[in-house]
Parts: sequence; structure tokens; C-alpha cells
Amino acid sequence: MSTNRQNGGAPGADASANAGAGAVKVSGRGALVNLEIDDSVPLETACRELRAHLGRFRELYARGEVALNVGRRMLAEEQKARLGKVVESESGLSVRQFWCDPDILEAERERIGAMLAAQARLVRQLQGGGEPADDAGAASESESVDDDGNDAVAPASDDAAGAGAECAGPPPALVRDTCRSGEVRRFPGSVVILGNVNPGAQVIAGGDIMVFGALRGLAHAGADGDADASIVAMSAVKPELRIAGYCWDAGAADAGDAALVSGETRRGDRDAIIAAVAGAAVQVAPYLKNFGISRGGSPNER
Amino acid sequence: MSGKTLVITSGKGGVGKTTATANIGTALARRAHRVVVVDTDIGLRNLDVVMGLESRIDYDLIDVIEERCYAEDALVQDARAGELYLMAAAQTRDKDCISPQQLSNLCRRLEMDFDYVILDCPAGIEHGFRNAVAAAREALVVTTPESSAMRDADRVIGLLQKGEVRQTRVIINRIKPELVRQGGMLDSAEVLDTLGVDAIGLVPADDLVITSSNQGRPVAHNAASPSGREFTRIAARLDGEPIPLLEPIEERNESVSIMDKVRQLMGRGRAVGAGV
Repeated sequence: MSTNRQNGGAPGADASANAGAGAVKVSGRGALVNLEIDDSVPLETACRELRAHLGRFRELYARGEVALNVGRRMLAEEQKARLGKVVESESGLSVRQFWCDPDILEAERERIGAMLAAQARLVRQLQGGGEPADDAGAASESESVDDDGNDAVAPASDDAAGAGAECAGPPPALVRDTCRSGEVRRFPGSVVILGNVNPGAQVIAGGDIMVFGALRGLAHAGADGDADASIVAMSAVKPELRIAGYCWDAGAADAGDAALVSGETRRGDRDAIIAAVAGAAVQVAPYLKNFGISRGGSPNER
Repeated sequence: MSGKTLVITSGKGGVGKTTATANIGTALARRAHRVVVVDTDIGLRNLDVVMGLESRIDYDLIDVIEERCYAEDALVQDARAGELYLMAAAQTRDKDCISPQQLSNLCRRLEMDFDYVILDCPAGIEHGFRNAVAAAREALVVTTPESSAMRDADRVIGLLQKGEVRQTRVIINRIKPELVRQGGMLDSAEVLDTLGVDAIGLVPADDLVITSSNQGRPVAHNAASPSGREFTRIAARLDGEPIPLLEPIEERNESVSIMDKVRQLMGRGRAVGAGV
């Protein structure tokens, strides 16, 4: 068991490298050397530690094959490739396998299943819903909170009966403008918002919520208790996401969602997201961008 | 003659409504318009101080509303800018002593005499805000590139769009180009994308604003002030001149830099820090 100390670390190692000291451990697994990479440090730190570790024992790692055990970390393909590149550039080793904690695979499978189901439901609803009820007048119908201290409920659409056979409930409402700070807009069924949902605005729907603009405020889908509801936004910055009785915990979001949480991205590099309930929590994944593959990089043979 | 009434508002306090009012009023008057600026922040008046006219006020807005004097008696001329007049707020009363209808009536009367009637709105979205926006046909919403100010500006824009105001435009105030470049401040495109309305001015942060507020001489008089120049451009845009919006650039070096860089490359650079 060998550990790496900071003084043997890479040049330019800063204070955060301390946290990652010992991020790489070595164990044997049959004929294969097994490098365990601590899953509690950021991937950035882990890469640096790995590079330092390999550099320190260069003669030991002149050739052969290794397995990388990434613990409870869920890696995208590009992240796996990055770790592999570190190994191959710093030593004579080649990476034969990635391993991870089986629990995380199960959780990830559940998560992907939930996202796919949500996405399928959404598509079905939008296709089968017939003409959406135009809700351009929502601004006047749904009242701001402090205008009378009461949240008004937008009237249910008359043509609810005209909804497609495949989806229950009223057809999706259509909002053409932006929901601004202080506005509370409620919808009995699903809603498609063509504008933005700004910080301080609330959109509360009995069904799904789709935002074609940027979601920066609060979206509560399945507000009457439908935990199968989902939220989709073409871009999202520091949103508040709620589905049925579950909240999205921005604090627990993984590093891949950093931009979503901090809002520190520039315009144009934000991606569409989908949020759905999986494992008794609201989870977020990129929408329609092969998230089943890129997010759920299964740690199998490379 | 029939002028138009603008309200300058923001929701959040301290973002520069009063400064914007004083400077846009000054800049419009310097373009040879007849302008009156009205402080509607009753009980917390300070437009008179920023304009350096506080010692010359005999009657105020409430005196006019309550018919203790004629509107003309309450107008204080700022001759430095030509035909610029101030109607001050009462300092000893509060916002409830006038109604939106009374202020509207006053503005309709002033419009007959002036090209521009500019209302300096109090912070908040309560009675004072409702008074000011009821009288105006056009609104300028001042915000700074900060999430807190933007959230309030967004709220105010929502309220304005439901009301009588026909056009709403945004002034982004106190932009720090260096901070924007470093990613520590939202850029104007981002602000406008969120607010979803057009901008009429992008005003850089400028210490001269503080100095001139204390001296009671709006920066729009000062051609050396970057913010003063932008307020002058805002006045021109209000007049319908097609002056493009310019994202503020970093001070001095930037505007002279291309030739300077060439000179530096040729070894004949100006001394570092040489100003314009």
C-alpha cells in the first residue's frame, strides 16, 4: 500500500492538493495491478494525484496492465478517456478495465430509466395532446403574489375533452411570454413556456413543465402529487426544481452540473436539461444528448 | 407643445435612479429641450441635492397638488443646463398624501409646457411607485449588473407591462468592464437576455458620479466623464437618434491602444500610464 504525499506531488500543486493527498491506492487483483482512485475528491485533483503517483514509481510501472477502480464515482466516457490518458502518458501501463461500486451502477440505472421514461412520456404527451391551449393571457389571469396576497389559479382549459387519447388530463397550456420575478403561474395540466422563467418567478403545474427559454426561477411539476412528471428546459441557470413532493438538492448535484448550480457559464454554452424523480429525489440530466451513454459511462472493459 | 412623461424607476434602491434622472434631464436640456424633473420620492427627497438646487426651493410637489401655489412657483431653474427645471418632493410628508390621479393630472399640465417631464420614482413597488408609473407613458428601468438588482428590475418590468406604460427600456448602470472580462460581473447581453427588453444605455461605473453628486453638478456637464458621455448619448437616443449601444470598455488604454501597441512593438512606446 503506497501513498503519495504532497511534497512528492506535481509542481504547482496547491492547497487543494492536500485534500487529495493519498487519493491513489494500489492493490492487487489477480495478475492485474489495481489502482484505487478516491471518489471523494474532484476528478481534477484525482488526475493530478494519479499523475504524481505514477511519476514517483515510474520504474515500477514500466509496463503491464492495470485496472482503475473509481469507487462511487460515475464517469462519462470522456472522463474515463482522460484518466486513461494520464496513465498511458505517465507510465508504460495500459488500462485494461475500469471498476466501480456496484451500488452506483444500480442507482445510475434507475436514474437513466426514470429520465428515459420521463422523456418518453413528454414526447407522447406533446404528440398526442392535439392543439395546445393558448395561454397568452396568463399574465393577467394568474396574479402576482403581492397584488392580493393570493395565488390565482388559471382556469382549466375548456377543450380538455379534446386531449389525445394517450394522455390523461388537460392538454398542455402554452405561455408565449416570459415569467417574471414575483409572478406565480399555475396550470392544472402540463405547460410549455416559450419565454424564460426568470429568478423569483414560479411556475407550478399539475403535469410536466417545458421551458423553451432559460429556466432561472422555480419550476414545480406534478404539483398535485404526480411523481412521474418532469421538467425540461433548453437552458437552466440556478433553477429551483420541484417534482411532486421532492426537491432538487443543488448542493448534492455532481461536479458536471457545476454550471447549473453556480450560473458561472457564459451565454451559449448551457445545455438543455431534464429533471425527473429517481431514487426518491429530483435528479437532473442533459436532455436528448445521449445522456444514457454519456452520463452512465458504465465502468466496464475499455 | 405637447411633451412626454418618462418615469425612471428600478425596484431596488441605490442603483442610480436619482443620478440617472439628474443626468438625463441635464443632457436633454443641453440638447435645447425644455425639461422638468420631478422628485416623487416624497419624504426622502434628494434629487435637489444631486442637482445642487437644495437651497433654492420655496414650494414643492405637495404644495402644487394641494393648491397652495401654482406649478410654476414650485419650479426651480437650473440655468447651467438651459431650460431645465426641478420640482422637488416634500421632505416633511409621506407618499400617501398624493394619489396616482393627482400626479397624472399634474404631468398632463406640465406636458403642455415642456418637451420632457421626467419623474424620479422612489424605490419599491408600493404607493409611491404606483403614483409615479400611473402618470408616465414611457419608463426607463435602471439596474446594475447584479442578480439582486436584476431580480427587482424584472419584477418592475412585469408590473409596468401590465400597466399603462407603453414602452419600457433598461439602463444598465455601474458596469465595470474589467470585472465583466474576468467573469466576475454579468455582461450586458446576459442582463438584457434575462430582462427581455431593449436597453437605452450602458453606463460605466465612474467615481466622478460620486464627486459630482456631492458638488451638486451632474456629470452630464463633464465631457471627461465616461458615464456623463453615456447619459448624453441616452438623451440623444430618447430624441430618436440612432446611436448604437456600446459596451463600456476598459479605461483609456483600450481606446488608444492600437497605435500605442504598434509603437511599443517598434520600441517607441509611450510611458506606461500616460493618459489620453
